[in-house]
Amino acid sequence: MNRQEKINKLVEEALGSLDDAQRAEPRPYLLTRINARMNKGTASVWEKAGWLVTRPVVAFTGLCMIVLLNVLVVMNKTSHSNNRAEQTVQTQADELSYTASPIYDIDNTQP
Amino acid sequence: MSQTELVVQLQQGDEAAFKKLVDDYQVMVYNTALGIVQNEDDADDIAQEVFIQVFRSVSSFKGDSKFSTWLYRIAIGKALDHEKKKKRKKRFGFVQSLFGSNEDVDIQVAEFEHPGVKMEKKERANELFNALKQIPEKQRTAFTLHKLEGQSYQQVAEIMNTTLYAVESLMGRAKANLRKELKKYYSNNIPEQ
Repeated sequence: MNRQEKINKLVEEALGSLDDAQRAEPRPYLLTRINARMNKGTASVWEKAGWLVTRPVVAFTGLCMIVLLNVLVVMNKTSHSNNRAEQTVQTQADELSYTASPIYDIDNTQP
Repeated sequence: MSQTELVVQLQQGDEAAFKKLVDDYQVMVYNTALGIVQNEDDADDIAQEVFIQVFRSVSSFKGDSKFSTWLYRIAIGKALDHEKKKKRKKRFGFVQSLFGSNEDVDIQVAEFEHPGVKMEKKERANELFNALKQIPEKQRTAFTLHKLEGQSYQQVAEIMNTTLYAVESLMGRAKANLRKELKKYYSNNIPEQ
């Protein structure tokens, strides 16, 4: 028997290996294990919350929301601080009565 | 007790009916799950989950299909879900290993031996089970139901909610893919007789 024939024989043997297989049976006392599991009760609120939070969709959405909120807060702060800086400069200028006189005002001595 | 009577009693929350359900269907549920997940502890876990789900949702069973068909669908769904979770865990373990954390990475798949296979065929059956893991899940489900559960193509079609023609096609493709996988394996590992 050559190599290819040997391989084909093994393939057919493998494909037929389940033909007369018996059904597998579970370990004894399955009902007892089921009852014990049911009596253990449902998951606590924290377990359910943990399960929910660790779902990839929920976790990813939550992460995106946090990033978005951070971006919004930073943008809001930046625009606020710009306005405040302009206001401060204006206030200081008013307090010092600083007005930049154009050069022609100095030369022009006539009222 | 007929299936209909059993369902009615289950819907009334009868504990004796639940015991009868587990006694009558445990082998069917466990063997189906085992064929898919190829691990005895996991199959036992799945069987428990299936019966708990049946107990909690039997009121939603309308009798559109046979009760055993409904049970098969739940068992297959749970077993396939379990497989997906296992694969996700494996992928996550791989990503963790890339970042240097080695905890929970060693999810080794042990060599599976189906307890119902005759001793002289065990080696070939192991190789077949390994090849089964490589083929698409619908083909694997049809093959498992037909070969391990002894269901006819018509019954497989009912369980998988499809046509007889579709099951014939699935089985044809399953066998072709298994042949391909097995040939690939034996080309590199011809056992010494």
